Amino acid sequence: MTALKGLALPAALLLAWQLAVMLTGLQSDTIAAPDAIFAALGRGLTEPAFWADTGDTLAAGGMGLALGFVLGTMSGVLFGLIPPVGRVMRVTVELLRPLPAIAILPIALLIFGFGYRLEVAIVAFGTCFPVLVLTEAAVRQIEPRLSEVARALALSPGARVRKIVLPAVLPRLFVALRLAAGIGLIIAITVEIAANPIGLGARLMQASNSLRPADMYATLFWIGAIGWALNWGMLRLQLWLFPATKGAAQ
Amino acid sequence: MLETTGIDATENAAEDVLHVDAASVRYGATTILDQVDLTLEKGEFVCVIGPSGSGKTTFLRLLAGLVAPVQGRVLFRGTEHRAPSREIAIVFQDYANALLPWRDAEGNVSLALEAAGVPRSERSDRIHTLLRTVGLAGSEKKFPSEMSGGMQQRLQIARCLAQDPDVLLMDEPFGALDAMTRQKLQDELLGIVRESNVTAFFVTHDLEEAIYLSDRIIALEPNPGRVSQIFDVDLPKPRNQLTTREMPEFLRLRRELFDFIERFEQ
Amino acid sequence: MRYLHRGLWFLASLALLVGLIWVWQLLADARILPRAFFPGPDRTWRALSRGFASGTLVADTLTTLRRLALGWALASLLGVGLGALVGTSKWAQAWIAPIFEVLRPLPASAIAPVLLLFLGLTDSMILTLIAFGALWPMLLTTVHGFSNIHPRRKEVARSLGMGRGAFIAKIALPGALPDIMGGLRLGLTVALILVVVGEMITVQGGLGARILLAARAFNAAEIFAGVALLGVIGLVTNALLGLVETRALRWQRR
Repeated sequence: MTALKGLALPAALLLAWQLAVMLTGLQSDTIAAPDAIFAALGRGLTEPAFWADTGDTLAAGGMGLALGFVLGTMSGVLFGLIPPVGRVMRVTVELLRPLPAIAILPIALLIFGFGYRLEVAIVAFGTCFPVLVLTEAAVRQIEPRLSEVARALALSPGARVRKIVLPAVLPRLFVALRLAAGIGLIIAITVEIAANPIGLGARLMQASNSLRPADMYATLFWIGAIGWALNWGMLRLQLWLFPATKGAAQ
Repeated sequence: MLETTGIDATENAAEDVLHVDAASVRYGATTILDQVDLTLEKGEFVCVIGPSGSGKTTFLRLLAGLVAPVQGRVLFRGTEHRAPSREIAIVFQDYANALLPWRDAEGNVSLALEAAGVPRSERSDRIHTLLRTVGLAGSEKKFPSEMSGGMQQRLQIARCLAQDPDVLLMDEPFGALDAMTRQKLQDELLGIVRESNVTAFFVTHDLEEAIYLSDRIIALEPNPGRVSQIFDVDLPKPRNQLTTREMPEFLRLRRELFDFIERFEQ
Repeated sequence: MRYLHRGLWFLASLALLVGLIWVWQLLADARILPRAFFPGPDRTWRALSRGFASGTLVADTLTTLRRLALGWALASLLGVGLGALVGTSKWAQAWIAPIFEVLRPLPASAIAPVLLLFLGLTDSMILTLIAFGALWPMLLTTVHGFSNIHPRRKEVARSLGMGRGAFIAKIALPGALPDIMGGLRLGLTVALILVVVGEMITVQGGLGARILLAARAFNAAEIFAGVALLGVIGLVTNALLGLVETRALRWQRR
């Protein structure tokens, strides 16, 4: 029932939009009728190039996320486990963190040129810091309780991380991964729109530049659907793997 | 109590503060309270006990005007009462939610005065008097997060007194506090009620607390909730945590209430 | 004692940063870092002072700051205002709020091409992009704050006989404030990203345009100077908002 209510208003707007276009016989470089947009989306879904663009965005974003996540968790665990390291790195991290990831695009462009590596580097940079902060907090909150257990069992530092710390912070690491995945997709699309000529972002930009509104809105819709599906899937996965994280779901 | 017509009702109006007349409360198809009657006289202290599911809290909310009866009526000083009134103050059990965490002690008491339209110049004096009454002098600038549970509940009582109420409704107000704080607050509450001559309606699941505080105890029974028995408490006042609790009458009542509750537990 | 302890760690942390910058300088001097990409702190500093002396860097910084402030302020007004309306209305929550949930995962920068069609390569396109993109986090957090008022607080308001206006001013708004502040902060982060993206796309002045043009001219020192300034903007605006937040929420004890 609630889902139906939520759909009612968008459906009504879409219908009104379609009717307005049909009644006025609108021909425009900026607006397209819903039927034209859905037709463009249907056409796109049968085109290999459309799927290649989707694949490019997901691959570059995914690789960047993997890199950023590994870097972020490793430093987060280190900072959380050995508090002096975390404290001594504080100013450096706090200085780099508010820097918008997209700002390093020109530097990465000089180093890597256009292509995958440019995008991977920026996504990695952008996802690394949120993961670091969340991991460090997770490790530090759990450590005091369990470090005594670890000491009583005389575990080596390596075994401590593997057997005590990681299992204890795993649910929160997954929450960090989920949030970072959303950020990663946003950064990937942003890099493609701003400069990198690959993926769905570039496709969106091309449609805009060549005045094909139906294609543009279709791609926008597709990007939204991917973002929504990613968020939904990760949330489902999180609740399935770690039912105890329900409270932290949002 | 049986004759609610004509001369009798108006004659009693001076003494009767709240009068519940065969009131029923339903949520959907479930009857929570079935045909309950009650008369609260000015200045008396009435406690409500009963097993879980007997509608103790709903009874309080009915008197507060937070729920309306589907049958019967609630009369407040002789007129029908279906919405909350400033003359009826409610002390909730969850003080943390009932207080405003962004206002300090003064600010929380002030809320009631602001709502009643008391001019700014008069508020300060009244706030200080009220905070002193509940034993919070010196904590005026503290935020609820800086106070213990007992202090927060005192603060809520101070806010309720700021309404200058005729009736003080309390829903297990000391349920979340430790035993020592609880006994201390019981004595302070008795003092406040005696001095302000307010009518107190107090829901509790602690039988000894009910006897210690009350002039009269209403025992509710469940499924659906209704008044089962009324116990008069003839214990001398002022009460004392040690001597009162050792009196034969106290122990007799304790036994009776215990037997009453026992009937509903498996 | 506690403050002294914390102060010492801060100094140590600062010393580490200075050390890292020094190592960067050493690596640049030794030509271990490729000069074309990593100009070293000294050349970055020279690019900064040159830019400030000629005034072009100051102008670009001010342009970026103006757009950031205007766009963010617009987004805040709209986001908090709309959020309060939706959050306090049962009807709006049932019919309108689900749309927000669907639109939330859409990357804000993805609407840049759409705005480009409507507004072209203009200043107003950048402002609209920031306002539209930064609006969502503020809207969502404000709705959340207003719709999550504890039922007990509503009962307290009823028993005190408070009107709708007094309820919003004295109970709903202060209660939603922590969420609203969080939204303003999130919105600022988004706004900073979008001002850079907008400037990179439209090339209508500002630091974003400056560093992209510098990249095309292979002028690494100029890029680093611009990025450093963007970092400072991010740091200072976040710190200012953090200060406002601790003042406004000082009742929340950690």
